[in-house]
Amino acid sequence: MDALANLALGFGVALTLQNIAYCFIGVFLGTVVGVLPGIGPVTTVAMLLPISFTLSPVSAMIMLAGIYYGAQYGGSTTAILVNIPGEASSVVTTIDGHQMARQGRAGPALGIAAIGSFFAGCAATLLICVAAPPLAAIALEFGPAEYFSLMVCGLIAAVVLARGSVVKAIGMVVLGLLLGLAGTDVNSGIRRFTFGYTGLADGIEFVALSMAIYGIGEIVYNLEQKAAQADVMSRIGRVWPAWEDIRICIPSILRGTVLGSLLGVLPGGGALLAAFGAYTLEKKVAKPPRNFGNGDIRGVAAPESANNAGAQTSFIPMLTLGIPSNPTMAMMIGALMIHGISPGPRVMTERPELFWGLVASMWVGNLMLVILNLPLVGMWVKLLRIPYRMLFPAIIGFCCVGAFTVNSNMFDVLVMAFFAVFGYLCLKLECEPAPLILGFVLGPLMEENMRRALLISRGDPRVFVEEPISLAFLIAAVGLLLVVAAPAIRMKREEVLKE
Amino acid sequence: MYRGTSNPPHEWRRRRTPIAKIRYLALLLSPLLLAFLAPSAQAQGYPNKPLKLVIPYAPGGALDYIGRVMAQYLGETIGQTVVAENRPGAGGISGTDSVARSAPDGYTIVIMDPAIVINPTLQPSVPYDLFKQIEAVSFISSSPEVVVVAPQLPVKTMAELVAYGKANPGKMNFGSAGIGTTPHLAAELFLQRTGVTATHVPYKTIGQSFPDMMAGKIHFSFSSIAGALAFTKDNRVRAIATTGLKRSPVYPDLPTVDEALLKGYEIDLWLGIFAPAGLPADVRTKLNASLNQALTKPELIAAFEKVGAVPRGTDPAQSAALLKSEFDKWKKIIVDGNIKAEN
Repeated sequence: MDALANLALGFGVALTLQNIAYCFIGVFLGTVVGVLPGIGPVTTVAMLLPISFTLSPVSAMIMLAGIYYGAQYGGSTTAILVNIPGEASSVVTTIDGHQMARQGRAGPALGIAAIGSFFAGCAATLLICVAAPPLAAIALEFGPAEYFSLMVCGLIAAVVLARGSVVKAIGMVVLGLLLGLAGTDVNSGIRRFTFGYTGLADGIEFVALSMAIYGIGEIVYNLEQKAAQADVMSRIGRVWPAWEDIRICIPSILRGTVLGSLLGVLPGGGALLAAFGAYTLEKKVAKPPRNFGNGDIRGVAAPESANNAGAQTSFIPMLTLGIPSNPTMAMMIGALMIHGISPGPRVMTERPELFWGLVASMWVGNLMLVILNLPLVGMWVKLLRIPYRMLFPAIIGFCCVGAFTVNSNMFDVLVMAFFAVFGYLCLKLECEPAPLILGFVLGPLMEENMRRALLISRGDPRVFVEEPISLAFLIAAVGLLLVVAAPAIRMKREEVLKE
Repeated sequence: MYRGTSNPPHEWRRRRTPIAKIRYLALLLSPLLLAFLAPSAQAQGYPNKPLKLVIPYAPGGALDYIGRVMAQYLGETIGQTVVAENRPGAGGISGTDSVARSAPDGYTIVIMDPAIVINPTLQPSVPYDLFKQIEAVSFISSSPEVVVVAPQLPVKTMAELVAYGKANPGKMNFGSAGIGTTPHLAAELFLQRTGVTATHVPYKTIGQSFPDMMAGKIHFSFSSIAGALAFTKDNRVRAIATTGLKRSPVYPDLPTVDEALLKGYEIDLWLGIFAPAGLPADVRTKLNASLNQALTKPELIAAFEKVGAVPRGTDPAQSAALLKSEFDKWKKIIVDGNIKAEN
């Protein structure tokens, strides 16, 4: 059993006093930045890079990795309690998680998020051990055509996932795509929809847009609803979910973990796509469908398991191929390079203590997160007892700081202010922002890959159906479209959603 | 340095008339005021506060890495902390512009690569005038690019690459980090000089192009060493030449494009430290000397080598001349290739 021997080596490294300490620093910081909207793991890893120069490569990587998956834990806390996703990957958690909090079940929501995340984290760690090399090969099969088809599938899933009207959901996806068009076009270098502002040359900043809609827009909207506020404050519920809750969540956690692990391996998506995917899947297959969108505990368990699994398996392409699946992984590659290690398949053979030490530290870190989070849930819940008149200005402050620090650019704060008004209008019009965000994130990637695939095929569109993986995704996308379009199913869907 | 006169004996001050008091106070404050009003004119105290080194790209790349290393060792030689600050956006234009608009006092500097001379030719909307608002303090490193080909390609030398290209006209694809980036323009110069035709497939970073190259979809690219190193080390892509006039210490066995095929072909992915134009002469001298001194440190040389960069200092006159000649060289490639970012 190679995997066991490797794990033993890894634990030998991860369980030294020094590395346990760095792991703790990482996951603790990760949880904190995860709880705070607008300060993400990318920013934090960037801030800590200079410090990591002075550590050994293993300790540095253990700490930086802890920040990343710790943030996935923390991100769900604000999603549930104040309906603001601390991280983009917690966006779907707001749907059912915050509904649960409104019904006085914030405790069980936080509890199941921690349990699901812990299970997913453990499973994903095991998966990295046994499957890193073969999974890395799958990621390599993905060319531009495959990516394009994957994104098409993802966007159609976003429509299926949305609450409320299909027309509005499609409208929001398209609007997200259009917003994503702003900025410099990779293929031609032309600046589109920048109106002469250098600040828009790289497009609309994702952090600014998401904080505007989920942070400020929500706050303004919430200020109108005074009655709900008192209600939330009075009832939180037990943190440890009832056995019945855990029992119905077991299949959801398993499904979320599997899907999250697979999507995490793919570059581009990672934890974000994993969470969206898991939620969509859950709505399709969970029985009885009951009340997704209105506080179903499985709507918390599945995406939270998925985003944590995805966060962890996204280390696979980074460590085995040197290909970053998201900006945080790109930072990690930078950190490795600074320590003189070129990420690639040789890391596993040349620096086994680094590779397996990091993998083992993830398990240690996940255990710490549960120990850290379950008792602290009580403390996070106290956030709800802070009067809104104090909490809201603080959140707006954090959002402004967060939007500014991404590029050290005031323009992004103005962009956020603009979209805050827009986000408020969306909420008033009952347009779900989640499809917009997904369209915004996936749209540019989809366009880039489509045009790249066509450049390579010299303009022949058959490339999308001739590659088997691409074809499979397109067939899945058509299937999803039929599900939405079929009148009988659509009626059923609306029934379910409007319950 | 004014501490001695700011605290006179008590009795002495008590005997003064009101007018004399004011005159005395004015006398007392005048050097302070002078120091306050004209800090750059009195540069003997430079630097008396931390410097800011703007890194105009996002964290994680080779330039970011070199910038941070440079900040650390410049801090040691200049005797003040040098704070590295990422200010990404618009291919380096945002960060460079923020420095171009800063006071020319030597406290705000920027590290940049050839994009600083490419952008003004390529982009009609660069908000600063490269030669009027920016000056080169010192170039700090040289690094060739490395020519890499897909492993499936039956090509092991530059000559074979040209032969393959001529035998398969218009069938090859080359990757780059985007329109007008050094990998794009280096390949363009190669195509211009050999008459080979190939399709340009831009990526956001050169690193993203390697999976497609491993799969054989991209046939060749002129990559930065930092981007290619992980992939060439274990032969997932094949390195066939480097683009300097001398062989690279990272790939000592590879010929240069100049010796193997095209006499005089040279692409240098240099990095330089730039400041707002009009630095006081003594500040310029001090900054340049401190940079050049830092560049001789063995630790810095070792750190640069990890990303294939060789330290290389220039004096202010050489820096200005090099800035101009590099501007002209890249402009020629862009004009000859009719490359436009906005058309």
